[in-house]
Amino acid sequence: MKLKKSLAILIAALMLLPFAAFSAAEDTSFTVTDMTGREITFEKPVEKAVALTASDCEIIFALGAEEVLVGRGEYCDYPPEVTDIPSVQSGYDTNIEQIIALEPEVLFMATMAQTQEQVEQLEKAGIKVVVSDAQDIAGTYTAIAMIGQILGKDEEAEQIIDSMKNAFEEIAENKLDGEKTIYFEVSPLQWGLYTAGTGTFMNEVAEMMGLKNCFADVTGWAPISEEQVLERNPDYILTITMYFGEGPTPEEEITARPGWENVTAVKNGDILNLVNNELSRPAPRLVEGAQMLYDFVVESLAAQELAPAA
Amino acid sequence: MLKVENLSVSYGELTILQGVSFDLQPGEWLMIVGPNGAGKSTLINAITGGVPARGRVIFEGKDARTMKAHELARGIGVLAQSHYVGYSFSVEEVVRLGRYAYAPTIFSRHGGEEQAVHAALEQTGLYELRHQNVLTLSGGELQRTFLAQTFAQDPKLLLLDEPTNHLDLVYQKQVFELIQNWLKQEGRAVISVVHDLSLARVYGTRALLLDRGKVVADGTMEQVFSDEILDRVYRMDVRAWMNRMLAQWKEA
Amino acid sequence: MNERNGEHFRGWEYLLFATAAVLTLLLSVCVGSVQIPFATTVSVIWNGIWGLPQPAGTAPAILLTSRLPRVLAVMLTGASLSLCGGAMQGLLKNPLADGSTLGVSSGASLGAVVAIAFGITIPNILFAGTVVMAMVFAFCSLLIILGLAYRLDFSLSTNTIILIGVIFSMFASSVMSILIAFSGEKLRSITFWTMGSLQGTSYTNVLVLLIALVLFGGVICLHARELNAFAVGEEKARHVGVNVRRVKLVILIAVSGLIGVCVSIGGTIGFVGLVTPHMVRLLVGPNHKRLLPASLFGGSIFLMLSDLIARTLLNPLELPIGVVTSIIGAIAFVYIYGSARKGR
Repeated sequence: MKLKKSLAILIAALMLLPFAAFSAAEDTSFTVTDMTGREITFEKPVEKAVALTASDCEIIFALGAEEVLVGRGEYCDYPPEVTDIPSVQSGYDTNIEQIIALEPEVLFMATMAQTQEQVEQLEKAGIKVVVSDAQDIAGTYTAIAMIGQILGKDEEAEQIIDSMKNAFEEIAENKLDGEKTIYFEVSPLQWGLYTAGTGTFMNEVAEMMGLKNCFADVTGWAPISEEQVLERNPDYILTITMYFGEGPTPEEEITARPGWENVTAVKNGDILNLVNNELSRPAPRLVEGAQMLYDFVVESLAAQELAPAA
Repeated sequence: MLKVENLSVSYGELTILQGVSFDLQPGEWLMIVGPNGAGKSTLINAITGGVPARGRVIFEGKDARTMKAHELARGIGVLAQSHYVGYSFSVEEVVRLGRYAYAPTIFSRHGGEEQAVHAALEQTGLYELRHQNVLTLSGGELQRTFLAQTFAQDPKLLLLDEPTNHLDLVYQKQVFELIQNWLKQEGRAVISVVHDLSLARVYGTRALLLDRGKVVADGTMEQVFSDEILDRVYRMDVRAWMNRMLAQWKEA
Repeated sequence: MNERNGEHFRGWEYLLFATAAVLTLLLSVCVGSVQIPFATTVSVIWNGIWGLPQPAGTAPAILLTSRLPRVLAVMLTGASLSLCGGAMQGLLKNPLADGSTLGVSSGASLGAVVAIAFGITIPNILFAGTVVMAMVFAFCSLLIILGLAYRLDFSLSTNTIILIGVIFSMFASSVMSILIAFSGEKLRSITFWTMGSLQGTSYTNVLVLLIALVLFGGVICLHARELNAFAVGEEKARHVGVNVRRVKLVILIAVSGLIGVCVSIGGTIGFVGLVTPHMVRLLVGPNHKRLLPASLFGGSIFLMLSDLIARTLLNPLELPIGVVTSIIGAIAFVYIYGSARKGR
């Protein structure tokens, strides 16, 4: 009996030994759980990173850590300075060789771009892979905190999260009555209508401010029929179509569509164009987008209250 | 009725036909004979404008090159050795195509189209088969269908390129007799490429022997089929070979 | 002197096909992602035709400005594409020839994308730049494809044609990808459109399609006899007196013109031109005097039904019409290819 007990203690001690030794020697090391639940241990804050998604780039810039970026995904476009950083293929065409050549310590990527083999290849090359894949505003906070921790910018991350929370709370406290409907247009009629339904940031922001997304029955970004838009008759339209300085602006184009003249939003001229993906990425600028939409709706409501008197 | 002057065809360095000339009279059946690669089929193609050729082809006093496609088709009909029809046309539909030259635009009237089609069908014994799908025909029936098409086309000159190459004896005889009958009407002539010398000798009234793109002999069957000429062109004793084959039948 | 030779489409056949097409049209107008009572549909359209005041509500806007022009455009596009398919299958004597298998549609959409990317427009005429560029590119693609095919294999066998068509389509779409990559956001939304979308078509579009169909389609239909001759064989066509070069050029111009217009308005809608002439051929036979008019009706019915599926299957979601036709078409393609090979 005694032998058995002492053996157990010995084994337990042996198992603990490496941990004890490790933590004693490396004071700066920390472990991060990424957004797929993988645990990644860093010995010290990262100094060279590649971010494949536009949102992660935005977060890194917002943290003031842009000097760590040695590479970025090809579709990253905000802030404008991001384009000075070498670009690598991302998404379906993620190019492992390009990434390895940049010698980053860590690669931030989204689930869509992640395959098991890619991760294995990168880790063999000594690059840690961190998946940042926020699906909602809470997830965005997690992403910001996680990236902040990895880059040694915990305080900055906390500040950003706090200010986002405050701004959203303020909007939520003054929310609308939940009667007005909004239609989010992701792709214009000319190319086939796409809208943002449940599970998108636009939908979450709308709910938060007491607007009803008239395509809440749709999930994600999805093609929808023109008839349904006319039938659902939204009070507001938010389009994220880009404008290139020639031809009608997206607002003008929507207004000019035959048959749309009786849609409430078109009748009242309540069409807002957000051109810089403010409401399509899990990044700090969600607040800006939400604020712009909120202000737009409030202003238009105020104008309408004045109108009947005139 | 047909005058061929100094016709030459070459693809780059390769000369297929060199300075071929002959003159064809109504009532003649000209057999173009010669070993493989002599340019027999090319000569037929060159006459109809199917391959680019130097020299002149004069049909009934007019330069064939300057004639409109449908004008030429009213004068010259062509029957190839084999046909692959892509779709399930009926026999009658294929034969009716022969009448195209008489109404090349939709504004022109189809004078006597039905009569001509029916006559051609009856002449070739295809009237009963006229609604049949051509894809289901035997080789002989298919060849007769296209012969009926050229009959419906009612040309003065018929060009045949090895018309019975893939056919068994019954059909060979059938097709050649149909053509022989057709030729009986005044003002008609036939040119055919035939590599079977016996067949050529039986039906032809005149022969043109080609070898390596040049005319070796042109004249009556007797003149062209002389032992000296044939042996030289075919590089073998042609008469001995023919006799040996015939002997098999005599003994039996 | 009108000889009845049974080659032509008979009156009752016209009536039958036209009735089927009209019924499909009515079905397409009455059924959609938004349910509108039949009585309302009838009164809205009746009032719309005579310019009478419309009832309140969204029904007039949905029916008259969204659904009707779209269904009409779909009908005309289907008719045009399958007429083109029928003509090319005859001209090349190849049952697998079609705008999409030959790569002409890809060429046309490349033209449209080029027009959009470089802002090529014709002053005062909306979307004319896209239409003209699509037509020009469609014609050039046809010339390139056939030129290559003749060079590689003079008999234009099925395999050569399909191979070159696939290669050309891939080439055209990679050029398109390059253009899209270089022009960034501006063209990214076009990737949706290349799948085929007739959403948002206007009555102007419908009018353009109609003019193109009457003009180019008329030219094609007037060449039914020549196409019969080509379907039997190009050599044979020459021997019976067809001016082979001229007819071929005219048909190719008409086909690329029509495909160009369709593509610039509805994007690439695959397989319509391949599948419908085949289905129709089973019904009326290969004679182009019957096949071409029947293809007009058959194509419009096929595409209207595909569009109906695209609009209503996943309501309120909408599938690109090209996805629906490609799924149906791919299955039919395999079947046709199989039976075509067996037939040899």
